[in-house]
Amino acid sequence: MKHDFHYTMSRRGFLVVAAGAAVSASLRPTRASAVDERQIKVGPGQALFNGANGASTAVWTYNGTVPGPALRLRQGEPVRITVENGLDEDTTVHWHGIRLPNAMDGVPGLTQPPIKPGGSFTYEFTPPDAGTFWYHPHADSLVQLGRGLAGPLIVEEREPVVVDRDLLWLLQDWRLTADGQIAGGFGGMMDASMSGRVGNVVTINGEVPADLGVRAGERVRLRLANASLARMMALRFEAHRPVVVAVDGQPCDPHEPENGRIVLAPAMRVDIVLDMQGDPGSRHAVIDDFYDGLAYTLANVAYDKGPPLRAHPLDAPVGLPRNPLPAPDLARAVRQEIVLQGGMMGGGKLKGLGGMMGMGMPGMNGGAAWAINGMSMTGDGHAGMAPQFALERGATCHLTMRNETAWWHPMHVHGFSLSVLSRNGAPVPHRQWQDTVLLAPRDVIECAFVADNPGDWMLHCHVADHQMAGLMTVFRVK
Amino acid sequence: MKLTYALTAFGLAAATPLPALAATINAVMYKNPSCSCCETYAAYLEQNGFKVDIKPTNDLSQVSAGLGVPANLEGCHSVVVGGYVVDGFVPVDLIKKMLAEHPAITGIAMAGMPMGSPGMGGQKTESWKIYAFTKDGKAPTVYATE
Repeated sequence: MKHDFHYTMSRRGFLVVAAGAAVSASLRPTRASAVDERQIKVGPGQALFNGANGASTAVWTYNGTVPGPALRLRQGEPVRITVENGLDEDTTVHWHGIRLPNAMDGVPGLTQPPIKPGGSFTYEFTPPDAGTFWYHPHADSLVQLGRGLAGPLIVEEREPVVVDRDLLWLLQDWRLTADGQIAGGFGGMMDASMSGRVGNVVTINGEVPADLGVRAGERVRLRLANASLARMMALRFEAHRPVVVAVDGQPCDPHEPENGRIVLAPAMRVDIVLDMQGDPGSRHAVIDDFYDGLAYTLANVAYDKGPPLRAHPLDAPVGLPRNPLPAPDLARAVRQEIVLQGGMMGGGKLKGLGGMMGMGMPGMNGGAAWAINGMSMTGDGHAGMAPQFALERGATCHLTMRNETAWWHPMHVHGFSLSVLSRNGAPVPHRQWQDTVLLAPRDVIECAFVADNPGDWMLHCHVADHQMAGLMTVFRVK
Repeated sequence: MKLTYALTAFGLAAATPLPALAATINAVMYKNPSCSCCETYAAYLEQNGFKVDIKPTNDLSQVSAGLGVPANLEGCHSVVVGGYVVDGFVPVDLIKKMLAEHPAITGIAMAGMPMGSPGMGGQKTESWKIYAFTKDGKAPTVYATE
């Protein structure tokens, strides 16, 4: 495998994989008996990013595959998931975006003891919200995610949504060496203090993407999940008009994304509905143009030559039923603010903060490159992390997040979904709730949530390098 | 990734001291797509007789390593010029000196992003060490102190 990203992508012609079919298979629900019991074994394995005929890459897996098996759960029905650790180091599993009891949140030291090598831990929770979520380790996060540990978690709506197909793209970004292995050098200072470990090969559901085969006239629900360590994405579906129906698993008012670009930072999910109105036999690129000068074709939508499934698009509404999120009481909200600081300075943008600095390093010890409100919590979580603020149970928190850095940060809150109120003073439309809110450099985001779930909860940047290097904090709900 | 860069006519040109108004020196800069201090440095090179072809790359540390830059000297961009590698905010006079003298090294690098250096701006507050490095695994040596 070549590790030059563009070169790899340009060879995609070799890698004809019926992505749609592969996805349907991986999503097939594994119906359990009366008690919904699941088993996940964490351990080393091999991945075939370029299909069965390509080189194999040594990875860490959930149940032997990258990504891990798609967990399909039912809204409001309890599940027990036993995780067995076959690695040589501690791990945990964080059920990203699921509102669950604090002890099931998977943060080592903070919410549970880490799962030792050879040990196991049983997670028990009842997902209150239907939608697109994912799971990943919260121990040695940069390395464990970067070596492959991530999987999709779908919570099905109680009443099925009317679409012809329900597909998932779990997007992962790998930094591979010339011989197709995962490059070492995790946690280098340049990565940590700049944009994180962005890689050179992107996979969809564990393979370098080929075509998404579709049929004219069909309606597809496509669940997009960015499980990358650091790569931001902005996807455009040429000649199509995707409608966003959910962000981070939470249904929103259906809308077309701004400029037709679906921005997906690490850990974000966006569900879109695509009415396939192209001509039979036509092909259309899906382009990721997030980074200036580095746009590339991620995949192609390829229509089969058959006649359209139906003459007109489905007229069923595309909106999803709302989840039972508690409504914030803004009039009586408690205000809190977190300020993101540090990182490599871009061209002297921080003149107001003590002039030109090579690294804005509040807390240079311990390899910290970032801070929240002047404090750098590094690593993955540990015992005795002092909460940045505490909230009374049931209180509404009006949270301001202020990015004073020159870099992008997807800020993830554990245990809650945030009602996103405004960005840089402008109201955020479409009644969006998110657990991972992307802040552009200098952005100020206002959001709100009801502190209805007791415990010490993490709030951190989901660029894994940034989290490890200090862009993390904890708050308490009493 | 196999990066090929032409040695071009530099071997010849470098044999004679560069006149004040030298011909344009072509350079390629590999940089993080989101970093703006690299662009300031590219502009500085352009003001000093270079023509800089900027190539944003998301895996800069791999590119830099492939060019032979030692990990502890890696900066937020790597410049390939005249068959040499220049990493970090190296003052232009030192680049021209290297191109003129044609030493048997892979390139030169200034670690960190010190204040006052081209690209960072501000006031110089400390002396800078510019290191020469090779691809033979030997420790970098001090090329110049500014």
